[in-house]
Amino acid sequence: MRTPRLLRPLPLAVAIATVVARAHADSGVGVDTWRANKLDPTGGATIDGCDERGTSWLEAGVHRSPTGNLYACPPPPPVTAGHGEWRTSGVLSIGAVATGGDDGNALWNRYVDWDGGIVLALLAFDAERAADGTYASVRASRVSDDDEYYQAVFGRAGSYKVQAFLRDMPNLVTNTAKPIWNGVGTDHLTLPAGYAAGASSPAAIAALSAATPERTLGVTREKQGLGFSVYLTPQWTAYANATDEQRHGARPFGGPFFFNFPFPDNGGVLETVKPIDDSTVNLEGGFRYAGRVWRMDFGYSGSFYRDRYTRYTYETPFALSPLVPNAVSAPLTTGQFATEPDNDYHNLKAAFTRKLPMNGELSITASGGRMSQDDTLIPPVACQGVFGIGLDGSLQTGPQNPYLYDCANWNTPAALSRKSADMRIDTSLLDARIVLQPATDLTVRGGLRYEREDYRNVYLAYNPLTGQYGYVSENGSQGSVVPGESGIWDPSDPSAITRVRSLPLDMQTTEANIGADWKLGARDTLGATLAFSRYEPTHRERSTVDDGSLKLSWTNRALDWLTLRANVTFLHQDGDRYDYDPYDFTYSIDLPGFVAPPTGVPAHTVDALRKYDVSSRNERKLDFMATFMPREDMTVSASLRGDWSDYDAELGRQGYDTLGATVQWEWQPAPGSNASVYYAYDRSKLRMANINEINDSGSNPSIGGNTYVDIGRWWADDTQRNHNAGVVFAHAFGRVRVDASWNYLYARGTTDYRFASPLALAWADTVIGDGPGGGTFAPMTYRIDSLSIGVRIPLHERVALRVFDVYERGRISDWHYLGFDATHAFDHRVYTDGGPQSYDANLVGLLLDVRL
Amino acid sequence: MTAIERLRRFLFATALAGIPLAHAGNGPVDLRAIDAVHGDAAAGKAKASVCSACHGPLGIAIVPTFPNLAGQKAEYLYWRLVMFKRAGKPESPMTAQAANLDDASMRDLAAYFASLPPAAGTAGTGTMPGAAIYRDGDPAAGVPPCQGCHGADARGRAGADGDPRLRVYPMLRGQHAAYIAQRIKDLAADASPFTSTSHVMAPIARTLDAASVDAIAHWLEAGAP
Amino acid sequence: MRSTDAIRRLLALVLGCATLVPALAQQSRDDLARSLPSTNLTGGDVQAGASMMNAAPAPGFAKAKVADNPGAPDATAVGERTCIACHQLESEHFTHTFHALGLHAANKADASIPVCETCHGPGSAHAKDPGAKGLIIGYTKDSGTPIETQTKTCLTCHEGGPRDHWLGSVHQRNGLSCSDCHNPMAKFSAEGLMAKASINDTCAQCHRDVRLQFNRRSHMPLPEGQMSCDDCHNPHGSITSPLLKTNTVNETCYQCHAEKRGPFLFEHAPVRESCLNCHTPHGSNQQTLLVTPLPFLCQQCHSGLRHPNDLHTPGSLGNGQHPDERAMGRACVTCHANIHGSNAPSGPKFHE
Repeated sequence: MRTPRLLRPLPLAVAIATVVARAHADSGVGVDTWRANKLDPTGGATIDGCDERGTSWLEAGVHRSPTGNLYACPPPPPVTAGHGEWRTSGVLSIGAVATGGDDGNALWNRYVDWDGGIVLALLAFDAERAADGTYASVRASRVSDDDEYYQAVFGRAGSYKVQAFLRDMPNLVTNTAKPIWNGVGTDHLTLPAGYAAGASSPAAIAALSAATPERTLGVTREKQGLGFSVYLTPQWTAYANATDEQRHGARPFGGPFFFNFPFPDNGGVLETVKPIDDSTVNLEGGFRYAGRVWRMDFGYSGSFYRDRYTRYTYETPFALSPLVPNAVSAPLTTGQFATEPDNDYHNLKAAFTRKLPMNGELSITASGGRMSQDDTLIPPVACQGVFGIGLDGSLQTGPQNPYLYDCANWNTPAALSRKSADMRIDTSLLDARIVLQPATDLTVRGGLRYEREDYRNVYLAYNPLTGQYGYVSENGSQGSVVPGESGIWDPSDPSAITRVRSLPLDMQTTEANIGADWKLGARDTLGATLAFSRYEPTHRERSTVDDGSLKLSWTNRALDWLTLRANVTFLHQDGDRYDYDPYDFTYSIDLPGFVAPPTGVPAHTVDALRKYDVSSRNERKLDFMATFMPREDMTVSASLRGDWSDYDAELGRQGYDTLGATVQWEWQPAPGSNASVYYAYDRSKLRMANINEINDSGSNPSIGGNTYVDIGRWWADDTQRNHNAGVVFAHAFGRVRVDASWNYLYARGTTDYRFASPLALAWADTVIGDGPGGGTFAPMTYRIDSLSIGVRIPLHERVALRVFDVYERGRISDWHYLGFDATHAFDHRVYTDGGPQSYDANLVGLLLDVRL
Repeated sequence: MTAIERLRRFLFATALAGIPLAHAGNGPVDLRAIDAVHGDAAAGKAKASVCSACHGPLGIAIVPTFPNLAGQKAEYLYWRLVMFKRAGKPESPMTAQAANLDDASMRDLAAYFASLPPAAGTAGTGTMPGAAIYRDGDPAAGVPPCQGCHGADARGRAGADGDPRLRVYPMLRGQHAAYIAQRIKDLAADASPFTSTSHVMAPIARTLDAASVDAIAHWLEAGAP
Repeated sequence: MRSTDAIRRLLALVLGCATLVPALAQQSRDDLARSLPSTNLTGGDVQAGASMMNAAPAPGFAKAKVADNPGAPDATAVGERTCIACHQLESEHFTHTFHALGLHAANKADASIPVCETCHGPGSAHAKDPGAKGLIIGYTKDSGTPIETQTKTCLTCHEGGPRDHWLGSVHQRNGLSCSDCHNPMAKFSAEGLMAKASINDTCAQCHRDVRLQFNRRSHMPLPEGQMSCDDCHNPHGSITSPLLKTNTVNETCYQCHAEKRGPFLFEHAPVRESCLNCHTPHGSNQQTLLVTPLPFLCQQCHSGLRHPNDLHTPGSLGNGQHPDERAMGRACVTCHANIHGSNAPSGPKFHE
């Protein structure tokens, strides 16, 4: 079902208009709660600075929130103009920006498109009719073609609201792309003239890659939305929102033509470029009721994803050669990817809440959803001619060449057990919670939750044209290098092991919790929550995974100058027997007629491995927050958070610990003058273990058997450390306002490893540096210094000039891309992305703020 | 030192040194964050002879259009003087008087008059019409109760003894009715108040009609509750 | 977006709005008739004109009444004029907020609907003794009003909907008040009456550490102002931990990443279970918000025969002795590119 560009804005708008229609920026439903950009992430809230008169004539300074944070100084009231019954105000901020230095860098341009030139920093216009509370407002900003937003709101306070917006957001993925193909951004990547597909030499391709100029790849999101909310009565409200978002662009992706690492001058490992050209419509609508005793919430949400492409193909430059003597490999030229299928999603939700005696509430939510897709399936392979190996030295299919296949039998939809995917997941949820407050100092809580995901339909990989099961592995390349590894099973090759079935992942979760909060006087609150959850996945290593946790919390306000909040959690996860191989049924092993190889069915994996999502673990969490008020105009906040998980896993993830602390000092001595300083440090450490095999076809899954032996063991620890610091300063020198800030991040990740013997290693001869038993990767670092200074000079009662400069220095080192500065091509591997780059860049801007 | 480090240091230095003291200067008077006013009452007494011409030898004015100063809050007195000096309004007789006073003198005078026993009044009763407005205001007319800031006993705001910021609200008990009435009238007409407290009182003054002003003033003169 | 494109999209939106407006117009035609300008030109006062039209208060404000303040049981309402006689500057700021617009209009239509006292309770006791704590419902640390009274007052009008699960939520249990995040006394934020200039700045008051995660190499576009914490979390309480707006983690992600929803012909178990098995939600120093570097990320679960379980060392990198696709660049996902699930019949291992 190919419905390209199914829902474009026009029909969309009409479609929504028929829906009885509340607003965007709903904290209960949907996204799109904020529209702003990097030029002003506050969307204009701070453009006028502070009212120098302060908050109140009665008192100096600002009040504190109940937690103890200082409120901001209020902005000066807008200058309004009267037009009959309407009162209007507005601001227009327009000017120009220019960038310099490494301003093409992808990190510098993350989610922003500093095109340079004229920018509309802000247009904000509000109109109000005091008589009945009707209002209209417009807010817009435009940095460049791909980085802009426009929104308009019209409504009557407490009655209805209509909102429309357009928003474009850039996402630059890389600026060091050297795609060797023509057609980047389309669904067909071809090699340039002079470079034969399937027959080019690594040297030629390396030269082609080197000669390809660096370019950027990225994806722009263009979204438009319409929202409507209305009070039907003082108790009933209704809302409807619809959005349509298009994504355009291209990003680095993959392209497998079999291993290159074990087979020099063979295979193919390609980083191709995936076209992004799709659209998503999201719809939300519902009714809400809030009465004295009952509350209700009925909601629908739907999502409709449409991709322009069902697949994209690419040419592979490299030739394949067989691993057996006197044979020939089929000349393969084309690889393919299925893009994400068009999908539909519907969800209905109903929530009922009833007030109970003892200031209590009982709330029950039921929700059911369906996600489905029935995209046309692409053929198993995109080749022409034959794929596989001609054992007799020819490329003639027939009994003499059992591992050579006619592409014609596999490059057509007729080779599929069905023409379209027809996959569906039904979701259901029932949530019930109760809160009772039998005394003013005691709250008792309880909750139950039941959730399911049910897969409807499975796919069987069966080719009715040939009667064979299985699929074509790696665009035909695997079977074209290794005889019999094409991915196809038939009774004539009864020991071939291949996937023949999709993997339905039905799951069910049941949760229960009970808790209480005690107020010990007015200043301390203690809380405890016991929670239990049972996760029951199908076709996973465990069929039940049980979590039990105890959370204790404490809030203290005993001192006027201090608010403390502390939470600790203890969690234990366990489950039933761990089956290291629950996937047999998806393989040819499960087919009638399958004959185990003489050496036995190779072990699916090692039985001591524990996948961390379902493995047993103990976890402790600590969360501590403090707000100090040393003086009327100062706040110091500090937090400490830790999370320590130990997994009961001999192999797999063994531990994951994080610990972080922040401290921040804020000072607001006068309206418009403030300073703050922060520092934060956090560290996380992930510990894992794995084991290399001694025997490629070993059937014994246990360590110490014929497959895995102790000397193949290895361990890795990944440690991430982040130092964050910053200073923010703002002050009005007379009527001139100065803002300055410096933000700093230094992230350092180190991956250390140890191994029992060189058998554990991919490459036994690559042990460098740290001796035979272990080593470390070069630190993965990311360091950003960002300095910004802005001055705002009033020129006139209504006009002010803003001049600002942002200087940023970024330093990055990612070991995945070591060596890529010299070449993107390594034997039969060719990479598009050159990886992230360090930069020094500057943005200078001049803006004129005009009060309308 | 790298350029970045230099910038960092510059920024820190600016942040620490660049913020001048708030509320300094000669502009409008902001009384929202003031400290206690200390002065030498004895020295003030020596300088008070010129004041007594209008405000009486013991701070009790004989002419009822001039305010009694005796027992008034020192903070109120000091900042009134500062206001006269800074605002320099030519129509006020106090402008010329304050122009020649140095800061220490103003503090001394404030301390001196604050130390004098206040006017006793002539025993007002709670049944006087002004008492109700002073106590309860008049919500229908938007008039807040006077006692909120001037105290239930009209001796100044509750808690003023412990907080100098509350001592800018004057004691009104026993004050001359004619002065109070004129002052309220002036405040109501003041389009651009010069002090933060006038910003508070001016809108309130505008809620009062002439009869109410008169009633409150007479009741206060009589000595409040 | 090119300008022609922009025009097309704007037109569509305007048309969309236009089709909605008649429904509105019909609904409020009587209101509109009544709201025609007064012919009494001598009035010159919008307030006087409005009271003559006698428009019904908007339903959202029709229920507004003087808040119940247990701290001052005998207090009586004094009305906005009395409040702003002293609180002039506060009023100047408040007037330009959404609450002021609605309450003023409702008060004009029905004088029994209060303005200030809708939220602050009756003012008479406070006016007589403004220094005494708790005589007025205050929303600040030193107000003397219990947090429960504060939140209860706000919920009088804002009960239900997105705030349906406030009671029992983690923020409620930790003693937060509405006014920890919202300050409706002035327009501090472009939208949402936040306490700080944006939703993100507001959350960062307590969750500074989380906010800083967004400064990392790969992150959601939050520092750039393109999204807010509120896109994924409902701070008012929800049925999904940690305060997620949808039923599951994945549903939350699918709201913007609908292409990952599938279901795919061939699924990857941890992907369907939770995006957070491999990604951190806020920011990471790896590419694409990954928890830990490839190939180690994958090797936590995969130890199959032949190629996934080898220990790579720096020698496997592009500048090493044996450049190896399993560790270089995109590592595992160079070949298993459709790692989120493949819809290709030849994609069981996400190769196609």
